[in-house]
Amino acid sequence: MNVDTELEVWRQQWQSDATVPLDLRRKVERQSRFMKMSLIGEILVTAIIGGAIAGWAARSPEPGIVLLAVGTWVYIAIAWTFGLMVNRGNWSPSAQDTAVFIDLSVRRCRSRLAAVWFAVVMFLLQVAFVLGWVYHYSPAHRTPFLTWLFFGSVPIDIVWLCIGAFFGFLVWYQRRKRAELAYLVGLKEQYQ
Amino acid sequence: MKSSTATENLFIDAEASDPLDRTTQEHHFDRLVVANGPALTRLAASYTNTLSDRDDLLQEIATALWQALPRFRGECSERTFLFRIAHNRAIAHLARSRSQPVAGEEVEVHDPAPDPEAELVGKQRVEHLRRAIHHLPVVYRQVITLSLEGLGYGEIAEVLGISESNVGVRLTRARQILRESLENQQ
Repeated sequence: MNVDTELEVWRQQWQSDATVPLDLRRKVERQSRFMKMSLIGEILVTAIIGGAIAGWAARSPEPGIVLLAVGTWVYIAIAWTFGLMVNRGNWSPSAQDTAVFIDLSVRRCRSRLAAVWFAVVMFLLQVAFVLGWVYHYSPAHRTPFLTWLFFGSVPIDIVWLCIGAFFGFLVWYQRRKRAELAYLVGLKEQYQ
Repeated sequence: MKSSTATENLFIDAEASDPLDRTTQEHHFDRLVVANGPALTRLAASYTNTLSDRDDLLQEIATALWQALPRFRGECSERTFLFRIAHNRAIAHLARSRSQPVAGEEVEVHDPAPDPEAELVGKQRVEHLRRAIHHLPVVYRQVITLSLEGLGYGEIAEVLGISESNVGVRLTRARQILRESLENQQ
């Protein structure tokens, strides 16, 4: 078979499948709306938690409450800056050529893997701060610290469960990102 | 070879109005999807294993296109712009799915037409070709699918960010593998 004829036959066969899923724009609009709602949700949660704690500190300006409010806002600021840095470009237009896009994806993947360790440190600091604050400013400080920490109450047990779930998620996320990075690096080598 | 005239000069208005208003964006998006929907669907199918994955990827491509439209200023042709977005999203999808279990269900091409014997042979050939392309390494799959969509060497080079000679080398190799694969299937 002549080579050009061969390509032309393949082309006709390939293009004979003209399926297009229905309502693509409606789906896109729904997804765009969902992305906006997610962002609004995150802002609302921040505003409610940050606002409530700031309001509490304004009504009862005791050192402990002011300390909690300042600590919470510092954490919120760091978490937002970090979140914006990590997610930057996630949904930005990806109209660069494939070679540039793969290079960029490799860098994003590496920065996200590095971000896992930052998240661990931030989370541990926040948990230590909140638990320390609760222990110090509640009647709990009459109990020995370690007894309170491990056998204190149901809310503390829930905190431990959340910590476990968070670290479980981080391990899963890190594995996933490593696999993604390995694949992208392999692909990048073929574009050099 | 498919012509891109259906969507040529689509963004003349876009360059005049900055940024695009919502109605103009919707209009451009609809026209691009109508003109290139089948090509995008075929591309998505070549990167995925199941119909639901294909539709997910297609939606991801469409969302990226929707978001990229207001910033398109005609630095490249519309087809180059469209296929760049599509292949980039597909690669991102592939990189993610490599780290997740892949479902076993194979994509089936549904055709609403009746199913006489003569058409069956044709359908089988199309299905063999689709499977053979699906099993090509990504770098070859990209050049062959772009070529089958009617893009020339220059356009493929622009989409992928490689030289035209490299496109030629990859295309020759892709065709060789494809030919062998199709012969083995028969």
